Amino acid sequence: MNHSPRLQQKIDSYLMQLRRSLGELPPEEVSEILQEIRGHILERAESSGELTEERLVAILKALGKPEEIAPLYQAEVAVARARASLSPTVVLRGALRWAMVSVRGFLLFVLGLIGYGIALGFIVGAIGKMIAPDKFGAWLGPGNFTIGTNDNPANHEVLGWWLIPVGLTVGTVFLVGTTRVLRWALKFARIRPMIGAR
Amino acid sequence: MSPNAENPENWERQVKKGWLDLAILASLWHEKLYGLDILRRLEQQSDLILAEGTIYPILNRLKGDGLVDSKWVESETGHPRKYYWLTPAGRRSAAVMARYASGFLSQIQALIAPLLGKEEQ
Repeated sequence: MNHSPRLQQKIDSYLMQLRRSLGELPPEEVSEILQEIRGHILERAESSGELTEERLVAILKALGKPEEIAPLYQAEVAVARARASLSPTVVLRGALRWAMVSVRGFLLFVLGLIGYGIALGFIVGAIGKMIAPDKFGAWLGPGNFTIGTNDNPANHEVLGWWLIPVGLTVGTVFLVGTTRVLRWALKFARIRPMIGAR
Repeated sequence: MSPNAENPENWERQVKKGWLDLAILASLWHEKLYGLDILRRLEQQSDLILAEGTIYPILNRLKGDGLVDSKWVESETGHPRKYYWLTPAGRRSAAVMARYASGFLSQIQALIAPLLGKEEQ
């Protein structure tokens, strides 16, 4: 079907914008999405007889703005990927996607940050103890417990060299545990369309 | 404090979103359809569709969840169409959802009957 170059350009620019908004997705997924949306536009256009600019504008408007459709794909793909992954960054990114569209997702994301934060603290502490044993330690003071370096004389060191095995173990437990909790919780992520008729 | 009181349209949108998954699965109950087919069917039989483009990411998710599967098929129009159909798991899920929805709707109907009666007087 031939449209005037002007209309063709309008279709192309819509798809280009969608492609840009889909940026993060794997290229083969992007091209499949674009093919499906292009088919939708062309078929809508064909069923209207002579395609006028007015008609094309209406078709694109009914479809929705590219920058509103694209995040729906990203959210779903990111969540699906996170559910199948063991990597903290992938899992956390999935939670972040969910966090952007729901309060529960946000809470999960914060929980993930805390869990990974604790894991990182213990692991960095253990590695620090190996590199600079006189500076790094686990410190206990009145009402506080820190891992790392210390310049508060009120705190005294606990654990000593035990920080290395304890830090690595606790850190790993938090790392794996947080990943498992996030993956489990992402099963319940349902990202609904966020755009509506205006 | 209810935002819905000032904005019934927002409430309506939320309700529609909630039903869309089931409506899409239901449209595929008897046959394979491509995206625009599903849209046309939903348009004819319901008022659920807000923005047409949203249906494609939903189909994508349903596929990711293993409820539908898809395949590109050449068509005489010159551009291929992506057909979707229910997987066995999708059929089971759709049936469970439909049973739940039907029971749920009759409860709501009973609950709101007095409200509708009042309006008619």
